[in-house]
Amino acid sequence: MRGVLGAFRELDSTVAAIEELKQQKYVDISVYSPTPRHELEHAIHPPPSAVRRFTLIGGLLGCTFGYWIAIWSSDYWPLVVGGKAIASWIPYTIFGFEVMVLIGGLSTVAGLFINSRIPKLTMTVGYDPRFSHGDFGIFVEAAPDRLAAAEAVLRKHGAVEVRGER
Amino acid sequence: MAIATRPVPRPEDEVVRRPNVATANVQLPAVRDYEQVDNEVIRTLAPTKAWFGALAVAIACFLLGATMWTYQIYWGLGNAGYQPPVMWGVYIITFVFWVGIGHAGTLISAILYLFRAGFRTTIYRCAEAMTVFAVMTAGLFPIIHIGRPWKFFWLIPYPNWRLIWPQFKSPLVWDVFAISTYLTISTTFLYIGLIPDIATLRDRETNPIRKQIFSVLSLGWRNSEREWRHFAKAYLFLAALSTPLVLSVHSVVSFDFAMALTPGWHATIFPPYFVAGAIFSGIGMVFTIIIPLRRWFGLKHYVTINHLDAAAKLCLFTSLVVGLGYLSEFHIAWFSGNEMEKDYFWNRVFGQWWWSQWILLTCNMIMPLTLFSQKLRRNTTWLFILSIFINIGMWYERFDIVVPSLSHEFEPWQWSGYMPSWVDVSLLIGSFGWFFMWFLLFVKQLPIVAIAEVKEIVPPKLRSAHPHASAIDTAGRHVEYEPDTPGEYE
Repeated sequence: MRGVLGAFRELDSTVAAIEELKQQKYVDISVYSPTPRHELEHAIHPPPSAVRRFTLIGGLLGCTFGYWIAIWSSDYWPLVVGGKAIASWIPYTIFGFEVMVLIGGLSTVAGLFINSRIPKLTMTVGYDPRFSHGDFGIFVEAAPDRLAAAEAVLRKHGAVEVRGER
Repeated sequence: MAIATRPVPRPEDEVVRRPNVATANVQLPAVRDYEQVDNEVIRTLAPTKAWFGALAVAIACFLLGATMWTYQIYWGLGNAGYQPPVMWGVYIITFVFWVGIGHAGTLISAILYLFRAGFRTTIYRCAEAMTVFAVMTAGLFPIIHIGRPWKFFWLIPYPNWRLIWPQFKSPLVWDVFAISTYLTISTTFLYIGLIPDIATLRDRETNPIRKQIFSVLSLGWRNSEREWRHFAKAYLFLAALSTPLVLSVHSVVSFDFAMALTPGWHATIFPPYFVAGAIFSGIGMVFTIIIPLRRWFGLKHYVTINHLDAAAKLCLFTSLVVGLGYLSEFHIAWFSGNEMEKDYFWNRVFGQWWWSQWILLTCNMIMPLTLFSQKLRRNTTWLFILSIFINIGMWYERFDIVVPSLSHEFEPWQWSGYMPSWVDVSLLIGSFGWFFMWFLLFVKQLPIVAIAEVKEIVPPKLRSAHPHASAIDTAGRHVEYEPDTPGEYE
């Protein structure tokens, strides 16, 4: 789909433009900023991040695996020391904990990648290098007949540059 | 992710200057806009002659260690200075030392993040990189210590033709899990935090080869709101997972000792005592690294005196905790009524090992008390000198744990001494070379200050008046607030 990309110098201008675009029922809006800003998040009002589910599931699986590998291999290859239990849950909690952190952490990263849709192979559409420098950006995707109105909103709120992207 | 901090507006009726005391909520008034952050941090990546010189020294030290390790593999562990029954020596001491150094990185990047301590923002990247390279260094020493390094993988549980599995009740196997998890999570945490900054480098880079490398490493990061939202959540969870991990890792390392019945080792105080000592030593190393870097890289207005002041308070606190641990050990030995334990501590403090014990007490307990003085906390020369003494003191702490216990066990006929050999000393020097080689390579390839997080505490440009207009103008610059906080410019 085609879109228009606007670059802003000021944060409040960006927020005002997002709010008006939302009022005008533009749905596909991507916002860029050099650093996370809560003002932008409030304006966009996105759903909560799903990364936490990845962390939870990964942590539970890791904890289970950590206990299982220690208990199973102790039963498979018993090393009897001092008459102690072959599968001893107190020291095996170390394995449960460490593997929980390991798999939970790696699952969190997987959750970040999947939800953020990275790695990306191309980044030419709807992005400008200045958005990692000091400017804020808004990329609006819409049907061709609505792009002119979107461009007008971006210019009205002080975009220093507006250009079409496809 | 930086902590979003708000500047403190000066009350209307305030006539006296704000006290020049560092708080957790330090600001960067000399940093005016986002572009300045990019330009000044990226400027530090240009190699200099001094950097090449330092790297050459580090590589020379590393090669010395590598050569001596090869020598030891060829001629055997007999060259390592072991003197039965002291069969743990410099390698185990240095292993515990480097694991400890790594802990401050996670403390500063993860624990202080959860506690919303803003002063971490400009120093955490340095501390985090230090963690990764310190754990990489530490991981070498158990492998060196076993004498036959090609068999280290026997400690890892995996299906094998020998049909045998590790002893999961052994602290050495716990170590393998703890250290490898710590290295993996620390590296992941460092890399995830670096992704937005690598994207900034990618967008500013002019050299096509470096631009291509940064493009791959940044994974196509575009600074979109969607990416930031998930990034913030992932970073929070990684911090939440790293926090108990850092406590567990050095507890597990302490179990290497505490699980044995040896006098001086078999103590329940060991896990918290080790964790506090690790964090203390790591903060010492952070000072050793960050104080020269902020000067040579022109980053004094990022890592300000107020940042160092706040970190010095943390150093003082951990020193007090460690000191309490030392005194508790003595008290427990006296209160236990155990003659072996009492005799061991007497020998350690006033007998055979008095010199090393007093190096430890002086460097770790007495000298850090100077940090009660605000003047000394804000004196970078003193902080640097003190950090060197802390590094020495913390190496000797591990010496005092390992050697005096093994050389003074239950049977008097077993009592002996210990003197590191030149192979031991060379490998110790080599470990510093290995650590600093990686660190020096890091600081010239990737930003040592977290660009995106620093931007979070820089007020953004606004068209209308800023919500804290009494302190910040529309260009995002601090106004009246500035003259009262001289330390923030230094």
